[in-house]
Amino acid sequence: MTDPTAEPSPTQLLERERERFEAELADAVDEAAIYQVQVRFLGKKGSVTQLRKLMAKASPEERKQLGQAFNETKDAMESAMEARRKQLEDQVRELELSRRVDLSLCPSPRQPGSLHPITATRRRLERVFHRLGFDVFDGPHVEAEDYNFDKLNIEAGHPARDMQDTFFVLPPGAKRGDEPSNFVLRTHTSPVQVRTMLTHRPPIKMVAPGTVFRRDDDPTHSPMFNQIEGLYVDRGVTMADLKATLYNFVSAFFGAGLQVRFRPSYFPFVEPGAEFDVQCPFCREAGQGTQISRGCSVCKQTGWIELGGAGMVHPAVFEHCGIDPEIYTGWAFGFGIDRMAMLRYGVPDLKLFFNGDLRFLEQFPC
Amino acid sequence: MLISCAWLNELLDGPAIALGPVHDKATRSAADIAEQLTNLGLEVEGIAYFDLPDVIVAEIRSVSGHPQADKLHVVELFDGEGAVQVVCGASNLPSVGGKIAFAPVGTTLPGGLAIGARELRGVASQGMICSEDELEIGSDGEGIMILPREWAPGTRLRECIPGIVDAVIEVSVTPNRPDALGHIGVAIDLAVALGTSTRTPKLWVPPQELPIDASLVTLAAPQRCGRYLGFALEQVAIGPSPEWMRVRLHRLGLRAINNVVDITNYVLMETGQPLHGFDRAKLDERRVVVRMAAAGEPMTTLDGAEIKLGADDLVIADASRPQALAGVMGGADSAVSSATDQLLLEIAWFEPKGVRRTARRHDFHTDSSHRFERGVDHGGKLELAAHRALELLRSLCGGVCVARCEVTGERPKPVEIRLRPERIGALLGMTIDDDQAARILAGLGIRVDRSQAKAWRCTPPSFRPDLEREVDLIEEVMRHHGLDDLPAEHSPASAHRQPLAEDPLRRRVDELGDGLRGVGLHEHLSLAFSSEQALAPFLGEGEGDRLVRVRNPLRAQAGVMRSHMLPGLLDAVAVNHAHHSRPISLFEIGRIYRWPATQPALEPGPTSAVDRDLPEERTHAAVILASRSGDQHRVERPATRACVEQIRVALGSLGIHAEPRPATPVAWLHPGVQVGLWLGDQQIGVIGELHPDIVAARDLAELEIGYGELWVDRLPMSFEPRYLELAKFPSSARDLSLDLADAITAAEVLVALREAGGVAAVGDEQGDPVELGSAADPHHAIEALEEYRGKGVEPGRRALLLRLHYRARGRSVTDSEVQTLHDRIVEAACAQLRPIDPNLRVR
Repeated sequence: MTDPTAEPSPTQLLERERERFEAELADAVDEAAIYQVQVRFLGKKGSVTQLRKLMAKASPEERKQLGQAFNETKDAMESAMEARRKQLEDQVRELELSRRVDLSLCPSPRQPGSLHPITATRRRLERVFHRLGFDVFDGPHVEAEDYNFDKLNIEAGHPARDMQDTFFVLPPGAKRGDEPSNFVLRTHTSPVQVRTMLTHRPPIKMVAPGTVFRRDDDPTHSPMFNQIEGLYVDRGVTMADLKATLYNFVSAFFGAGLQVRFRPSYFPFVEPGAEFDVQCPFCREAGQGTQISRGCSVCKQTGWIELGGAGMVHPAVFEHCGIDPEIYTGWAFGFGIDRMAMLRYGVPDLKLFFNGDLRFLEQFPC
Repeated sequence: MLISCAWLNELLDGPAIALGPVHDKATRSAADIAEQLTNLGLEVEGIAYFDLPDVIVAEIRSVSGHPQADKLHVVELFDGEGAVQVVCGASNLPSVGGKIAFAPVGTTLPGGLAIGARELRGVASQGMICSEDELEIGSDGEGIMILPREWAPGTRLRECIPGIVDAVIEVSVTPNRPDALGHIGVAIDLAVALGTSTRTPKLWVPPQELPIDASLVTLAAPQRCGRYLGFALEQVAIGPSPEWMRVRLHRLGLRAINNVVDITNYVLMETGQPLHGFDRAKLDERRVVVRMAAAGEPMTTLDGAEIKLGADDLVIADASRPQALAGVMGGADSAVSSATDQLLLEIAWFEPKGVRRTARRHDFHTDSSHRFERGVDHGGKLELAAHRALELLRSLCGGVCVARCEVTGERPKPVEIRLRPERIGALLGMTIDDDQAARILAGLGIRVDRSQAKAWRCTPPSFRPDLEREVDLIEEVMRHHGLDDLPAEHSPASAHRQPLAEDPLRRRVDELGDGLRGVGLHEHLSLAFSSEQALAPFLGEGEGDRLVRVRNPLRAQAGVMRSHMLPGLLDAVAVNHAHHSRPISLFEIGRIYRWPATQPALEPGPTSAVDRDLPEERTHAAVILASRSGDQHRVERPATRACVEQIRVALGSLGIHAEPRPATPVAWLHPGVQVGLWLGDQQIGVIGELHPDIVAARDLAELEIGYGELWVDRLPMSFEPRYLELAKFPSSARDLSLDLADAITAAEVLVALREAGGVAAVGDEQGDPVELGSAADPHHAIEALEEYRGKGVEPGRRALLLRLHYRARGRSVTDSEVQTLHDRIVEAACAQLRPIDPNLRVR
């Protein structure tokens, strides 16, 4: 029988601490609180550690029993704390995993930037021609009449000069009037051919993409537009080589298997001269052996797209540029980059290219 | 140039061209001819088919007034089978027995009008009596067509008037082919292609005994007129041309005037040679003088324009005054009129460039000047045209040729071209048989002497002034041989061709474009035209003279080449602002144009003589960000700061780490919100808020606009990354808060700290001193973290919070040496900045 007034035995004290420990551990909700509990019970001055001092007063047989009880209590407390820690970690993890965020919501999405469709097309053309072994050059936009016309066999006073409506540039300082000046806004990129031939010896193999200007403004013409020209000068260059090169270009740009055809035409700086067409890539059907273009709105139901002009460099142009036409021959071609971009992207109106509407520009992220 | 296939049928031997759109495969069709012409380099723009299958000749049996309408007549017609009643409003109805063009019920007129049985004010009308205009065979819409009385009623009109049925091909003739500006020239080309021959139209060749009257024509300007044939005609009866000629001219887009004028136009279209008829009675002394005009001499042209002649204008004058602008247009005074009965007919060759100058000077472009400028024939075709016109004047006007005169001046000399047949294959890259080549050339009228097999001597006809060199003949062979069998075959390439050096600016522009796109900007291209007004805010003192102006702009607002990127970008902002309210973020890389302030020093080279005088074309990259304004009163507007950041990030992607420092001020940005971008001592661009005056002037005040531009020519043209050793030891940071005046920029503080850091060093004993440097980010040893205004900082001042990182290369640093260095740096930097702001202090 136990005397309630009597001092509790060490075992009873130990039991009491154990109950208190369990209550406090259950209240501990984080690692720091568990540590506090550990300090309070098992620390140097902890209550259970203090109780251990009672062992000194106990009889030897009691001491052994008591020691065992202490150790059991201590072990039990430590594993309880470990379990509690694990339990808390699990709770935290579960809480973390219960988070829900709606990533499908994009209130003001950042948009990618864009390159102008003409730039993108120009670069693509440059890449193709670079792969075919062409160097790339450009020249000034304000050009001497000599380079824009005379050296290209478009002599003053000849109606061929009217083939391109020319913007003339006033001399420096002049505000208006008819003061003569020898400068024009280049009407084609052909002056770059002249410049290249004047500064480099053959063989020359180059393309000149660039901005050109013509006094023309209607739904299909802009007073400023972009074109690309090619020039190849070497010994023994033939018109057949021009066809082969254009064929390679068309395959690389539009896809393999498209035919190229020439129609005789006149450009003062080439002789013979021709226009060249490519089979419409937008309505072609793979037939047996050859491609057939059925006709569509892009090619105006003809199956062919008129691409540009070409021909063998006129001997007069060679002579003007210090190249002997008896030794060298060469070819040149040219076509519009803007038109190519219109075809490629299905842009119906040239004006869209130049008015800067973001809703247009952002359609061309690459 | 419009080409009538009906006319070609008259000029070509062999099977006729079918003139309808539908035809059997065996027949040569207008479409075949069109394709052939295109293959010959005469590019076809389109074909128009004409026919009047149902319109017939009808005879007037009786005419009576309409009971209900004063202006209408009730006409009884005989259509060859029976009587038909129609109601007609024409005022020129012929009397009984007269013949008219009748469209019976069921006819659809060319304009689309379907004729049905109708009732006009209570009177039945079974068809329509037509005018030329309604039948689209002439331009006369004033009254109905009155046909010759001898035509049989019931005959189809198209059987009475040749040329009603026609296929007209529109050809765009390139400027090198004056010979193709007439039907005969086109027929010659086609005859070779089709393997047939041409027919000569009926001519009247003046007999030997026709008197030569040397006084008829005096040539006083032989350098401008190579040949002039004058013919005097009498008893000329002026009247309307026959129907067939009126129809043909109409089909070719010409208006019938009277028989003489129509004949000159007809022969022009047939031969390509312009002609002119003077009313000889109106010519002073009844003769012409081909001479240069006196400066200021007046003249009235056929179209009624009063012009003042220049000393460079060639005129056909009479004994006292100019009567025609040679090769361009006749004069009003001696124009053929209904009273004319004596003619002086002119067929001539005028020097092309002179005609062109005169036409341009007086702003004329006529069928005649168009041909003279390109070069008409001075040889056989000139005579052919004369003889053809004389025949027509004889047969259609009764004109009797009583005298003639020919004078000659300087004419182009016939050229003999050496053609090496092997050159044909060598240039084209395909084999063309020598005999075929010779046949083609001969067919085109070129005399070919093949006595030397390897070098033929070829003489082109005088109607082909474009044939001057060997390649021109090769082109003729190519045109007629065709390009369909041209192989796609590479020439053997030279082994020694070295790729030429890449233009570094081009590459840089592309890289910069990628960089700017990469930060979310959209590339825009504006037209490079601007105006004085739009550019004025961007011009410095005296820079107006440097603008590059266009003499003949399309519009006054587009008369100057841009000298600044902003006007174009602001136009784009305005376009966007008008259409949507989204934030606008654009960039453009392009050239600006200015005459150089001083003549540039250029390295001498083959093009330097030209380049020296050209305008400067600098490449600028410009960024504009615009969004609807938030609070008008806040100091900071986000668009501009974003502009700085985006441009710097884009530059960073090119390996360019530009520093924002105070700009060389520009007047078009807000004076307090602009910053320069610098690489060392070189400014490479400027960024800021657009000046409020400019924003207001463009009506864009609702927007906040940030703008930045880079002067691309000043950017380093390449970047080679160099490996920087990764720090092995940590750096240590110290924060610094400065209280300073607004006048001092963060950039200046950074510079002062960095400079101070460059001279101070601590712990150098081991040869590894502590210095400014971050182990985490070697490019940012000092960070400007934030600014603060408000409580504790006086107005006009701000607190700037900075963080400085310290490290040593090969060891860890100690707190005390870092603190010593930090204190030294801060003290030195503050000392440097105090002259600007004496109250500067560390907080």
